[in-house]
Amino acid sequence: MFPRLRLLVHIAAKHLLVRRRQTAVAVSGVAVGVGFFLAVSAMMVGSQTDFVKTLIDAAPHIIVSDELRSPRPQPGVAAFAKEGAVELHGFKVRTEVRGIKDWQEMLREIDAIPGAIASPSLSGAVTMRLGGRDEALAVIGIDPSIESRVSTISDKLRTGRLIDLERVQGGVIIGEDQAQRLGLGMGDVVSATSARGGTRSLRIVGLFKKGQQVGSGVGYMLLREAQSLLGRPFVINRIGVKLADPYSAEDVAARLEARHGYKAQSWQERSADFLGLLVTRNVIMYTVVSAILLVASFGIYTAVSNSVTDKKRDIAIMRSMGFSQGDLQAVFVMEGMALAVAGVFAGWLLGYVLMSVLGSLNFSIQGEVRHLPLDRSSRQYLIAASASLVAGIVAAWLPARKTARVDPVDILRGAV
Amino acid sequence: MLVAEGLTRELPGDPPVTLVAGADLAIEPGKFTAIVGPSGCGKSSLLYLLGLIDRPTAGRLLLERRDVSPLSGDERARTRLERFGFVFQFHFLLPEFNALENVMMPIRRLGRLSLAQAEARARELLGFMGLAGKAEKSPDKLSGGERQRVAIARALANDPLLVLGDEPTGNLDSVNSARVVDLFRSLAHEQGRAVVCVTHDPGIAEVADIRVSMLDGRISEVRRQG
Repeated sequence: MFPRLRLLVHIAAKHLLVRRRQTAVAVSGVAVGVGFFLAVSAMMVGSQTDFVKTLIDAAPHIIVSDELRSPRPQPGVAAFAKEGAVELHGFKVRTEVRGIKDWQEMLREIDAIPGAIASPSLSGAVTMRLGGRDEALAVIGIDPSIESRVSTISDKLRTGRLIDLERVQGGVIIGEDQAQRLGLGMGDVVSATSARGGTRSLRIVGLFKKGQQVGSGVGYMLLREAQSLLGRPFVINRIGVKLADPYSAEDVAARLEARHGYKAQSWQERSADFLGLLVTRNVIMYTVVSAILLVASFGIYTAVSNSVTDKKRDIAIMRSMGFSQGDLQAVFVMEGMALAVAGVFAGWLLGYVLMSVLGSLNFSIQGEVRHLPLDRSSRQYLIAASASLVAGIVAAWLPARKTARVDPVDILRGAV
Repeated sequence: MLVAEGLTRELPGDPPVTLVAGADLAIEPGKFTAIVGPSGCGKSSLLYLLGLIDRPTAGRLLLERRDVSPLSGDERARTRLERFGFVFQFHFLLPEFNALENVMMPIRRLGRLSLAQAEARARELLGFMGLAGKAEKSPDKLSGGERQRVAIARALANDPLLVLGDEPTGNLDSVNSARVVDLFRSLAHEQGRAVVCVTHDPGIAEVADIRVSMLDGRISEVRRQG
């Protein structure tokens, strides 16, 4: 078997080396296909990874809020359930105190998950009043040392630090556009009024950058001070959870919700629409780049097809010598494989160069220098190689079948 | 050794064209058989049937008392590889390979010898053909006579029982023709092979041991000479 294979490889190699130009064209076709596949998919996958990372990090992986997905059963319904009551009318709906009730226990439970951090917070609406102007502000009370580990809000600060909230009595961090609107700067004092609490003086200790989701109309305060400003001592209504593995968020959220009843929203649930878009985007990308690879394999088809046509006489003479049809098909399929393999290696090189060029480009977004996010994993190289090899073998096999139709008798008698 | 019984080859069509009709012939080892006849009489068709390149539409072909007509394509290819050697009017050397590689081709395909042994065997054959110094030359650097002798060396590569020639001297001058004819005779008489040649050349027909005449697809006469 082995000497036979070696002989067939020898013949295939000779065919390719004699027809250098056609070989070069077919190889460069595959190389360009593989190279651009790598460049395009690196950008697409890279930007997607970048996007998902932004999506994951934009907010805690899971947000538990004091909302319920469906109202709690009323005590009356529960009481008469045994008697077979199906519906009850005219009972007085019990007033529930808003807020997460068993939050301390919930925090302990989340902290028991390895690598998980839970940050309790209380949010509520206040009105900032300055010089006769009213401005609504959603206040979020946090524990700065925990919150900074759960979310990325500290990265979004233009000036000040999150920890300054603990140092300054009544400290607050608001968005820089809002501060600008009110004519406020660092260290300025503004009064804030809530519906149930009283009025307090707040001192600005930090400003969020413009154009960030977190910054507009939102003010961060110390949890304790927010509770007192909003008149809801010891109450929290939101727990942000960060997990070691963001992709387990859905399971953990479902578990928390089943246990405690409060709505626990994972980042996947929050951004289901975006994730759906990504699927569409991937389908489009792989369709386009597969087309590139497919077109590249046409070069192999042409090269092998021409080779078979040119070599009809040699096919006939080899048949008369005692080569089988399988031998000759194998010769031409191997020619296609060799073209594909050479093309893949050249394409890897081209792709690597393209990626290096793309990676070195600088883009300026809002004064920040950024590079294109690129996925340079070996996975892309392997996908490109295997797709090209399969396409190349098929593209060679189709014309190689023609060798079976070469009738040695016709050729040997009529040939010149 | 090789016996044809009512060997017939028809081309399908309306009406079908008969190339060879009911040929009965015995090819014997140690004998030089010449098949002669006018153009289009079916002598080449008969040769391709005998050489297992073409399939008969009727009749039997016995190779050492075994019917080889029902064999599959691969089995026929194997038989050609092991037992038969062909020489054509045109040398039909593979242009990408030098003389030595061309002669090694059937030996390597058979795979019984190592690469070094195959090369030694091919060199020996080329030496026998008087081409020892031309082994590394590519076919287009050889003269017509030299090419035909390389082709004969290739036909002998796997030590075949049967050597088949289709107008092997058709493209050669008289000196080279005579040389090839002498070679074919010695293959039969000295090496004990069966040699069958289709030819127009009366010179070959005359020196053959058995002269088979064909007319209109039929064998009209089988004459033992000398």
